Amino acid sequence: MSIFQLFAALFALFMVYWVRTSHKRRQLSLLEASFWYSVWSVFILLSVFPNLLLGVAQTLHFARVFDLLVVLAFTVLTIQNFYLYLKNKKLEQKLETLARKMAMKQQL
Amino acid sequence: MNQAPKVYVVVTAFNEAKYLATFLRKLGRQELSFLVIDDGSTDQTASIARRYTKHVLSHPVNLGKGATMKTGAEFAFKHLGADAVIFMDGDDQHSPTDLKHFFAKLHPASQQAQLVLGVRSFDAMPKTRVFGNQLASALVKLLFGRYIPDIPSGFKALNRIAYQKLKWQSSDYGVELEIACKVAKLGLAFQTVAVQTLYHDLDRGMNLLDSFKIVYKILLWRINL
Repeated sequence: MSIFQLFAALFALFMVYWVRTSHKRRQLSLLEASFWYSVWSVFILLSVFPNLLLGVAQTLHFARVFDLLVVLAFTVLTIQNFYLYLKNKKLEQKLETLARKMAMKQQL
Repeated sequence: MNQAPKVYVVVTAFNEAKYLATFLRKLGRQELSFLVIDDGSTDQTASIARRYTKHVLSHPVNLGKGATMKTGAEFAFKHLGADAVIFMDGDDQHSPTDLKHFFAKLHPASQQAQLVLGVRSFDAMPKTRVFGNQLASALVKLLFGRYIPDIPSGFKALNRIAYQKLKWQSSDYGVELEIACKVAKLGLAFQTVAVQTLYHDLDRGMNLLDSFKIVYKILLWRINL
């Protein structure tokens, strides 16, 4: 196991701990916590046993498993970024509608 | 019997405590109905406005020029029965004596969209603003095929029909660009009046970096409309 794999596994363990405390504080529902536990568990598994993805990497013509993981990570980040952009836009519209309604209601 | 058309002046203000009283005093002398929309000011803007009109609406947070204009227009049209509104900035950059020129050209109760745009002279305008101003007009002409002068000017009048057609989405200063792009795209007729401008604070308003934003926003509107 390389030092990088060790760091990756420790990072994932820290994230599992963060999910646990968030769940205990009721910031995450059981379903949300379960989802994130699964994500970080898979992350730990792949950190320790990266060769589990070797078949997938070879099929997709990636030279290394690491390259596959980097591409996957960028894809996830792009999707997440777009999702957050849409959510933020929706929130801004709701805030504007609410603030304008409040201003008019106050005046009437 | 036909009622005289109702026109309201919508004054938009954000932290304009310094100049608002002066402006509203001048506006009051025109003996016109007006309302002030305070866009979440943190100074005395709202309380100053209340000394001059009962129609003062305050956003609980700062939303931006476009949202402020929307609040004013919607309140005037829906609740005050306005046939037309004239937008003015509360920073005393616009002269209320120019309002008579708007009234001369505006037909508030018309069944057609009525739009009158206040156009400033470039003589006293800071050079960076002239550049941004001309860039905006040139781009709209290039991308929409229509020349619209002095796009960033906040001094403009529109009747109810025009407002319904133009109902803008922008909540920030991009509203002026959006209105121009929509006027050009929809082929709405408009008239222009020459208006004076007083530049109190030269560090406010457009700077050179805003030119990039102008290009970006106009391109976006070209795609969206």
